[in-house]
Amino acid sequence: MSKGRIAVFLVVGGVLVSAASFIGGSVGAAIAGREPVPLLVVSPPHIELEPGRPFGYSFPTNTMLASWLTCLVLIVLSLLATRRVQLVPTGLQNAAEYLVEFGSNFIEQMVGKEHERHFFPVVVTIFLFVVTNAWLALLPGYESLRVNGVPLLRSANTDINVPLMLALVSAFFVEYMGFRSRGIAYLRTFLDVRRLAAAVRNFAKGCLREGLVDAFYGVLYVFVGLMELLSHCVRVASFSFRLFGNMTAGSVLIGAGIFLVPLVLPSVFYGLEALFGLVQAVIFASLTAVFGYGAVYYGEH
Amino acid sequence: MEFSAEAARLIAVGLAMGIGTIGPGIGIGMIGKAAMEALGRNPEARGPIATNMILAIAFAEAVAIYVLIVAILLIFVL
Repeated sequence: MSKGRIAVFLVVGGVLVSAASFIGGSVGAAIAGREPVPLLVVSPPHIELEPGRPFGYSFPTNTMLASWLTCLVLIVLSLLATRRVQLVPTGLQNAAEYLVEFGSNFIEQMVGKEHERHFFPVVVTIFLFVVTNAWLALLPGYESLRVNGVPLLRSANTDINVPLMLALVSAFFVEYMGFRSRGIAYLRTFLDVRRLAAAVRNFAKGCLREGLVDAFYGVLYVFVGLMELLSHCVRVASFSFRLFGNMTAGSVLIGAGIFLVPLVLPSVFYGLEALFGLVQAVIFASLTAVFGYGAVYYGEH
Repeated sequence: MEFSAEAARLIAVGLAMGIGTIGPGIGIGMIGKAAMEALGRNPEARGPIATNMILAIAFAEAVAIYVLIVAILLIFVL
């Protein structure tokens, strides 16, 4: 069978399946005013923002179980990749070395050579955790295997606690890098009274004009510092909502796709979900790196 | 005219998503346009341009995600 004929079969088969799902599913049923075909009957998506508890109240939630599974997968992969380390890497060790080198270059682009070593662990861990959470959630079984009517596993990124945890880790890491590289003077980003002190000195000396200029800029810099403090606090909410919203919206989208055109639409959205999971992980990790770099190099004025 | 809470909620959700995604949509388009122009001027800087564009788009998209969270809260929780 030639390649052309296989392609024709695939296209015709795809069109037939799409038409059958569209006409027989909920959309076609609504248009024609009849019941959908029993094979393709799906209930409308039921969105729960809170994670479910498959084993009752004193057991972990399904997102917690999914995050344990993620940790297990990452630990097993790392152990397998570093089992017999060879000088010329092959297989899993090769992939791991590629990941390490790529991440190292990426972070070096953002924060410079001398800080890259300090940033690498936290940033790459955040990236690996988020992307493994997102990609494992695409496997069949997540949100469909039910125990006591509640899904057994659910993507950990769709529980607001996990993005909040990652955002807090990221914020603490940024402050830690700030204090580590500049000591207690890092607090000057939030409250910079040097210019005001210079203004007071100028007023004491009697130089009224320089005193006024320094006073103006001093008040401005204090205001900028307070805005910086507010921005650091809002960053936690922004990080967590960005990740949570993207992941929850993705799962809602797939649920709606399964409801509308059962066999075809979810496949399209699966690819989108995979891409979005990767993109959100990269964004979370690189924003952590960028804000850490800002904390280390803030304020050359 | 009777104005039930259910109707008000549905209208609110529609308005929220409709008006709320205008800003981020335009913003992301402008970021893409600037990135394309920069790429056209200097095709060798493709790596840094792409990285910074993704970063800036993340910030703009986050605003749209805030609106989506409010809409989902309105429809399914409140």
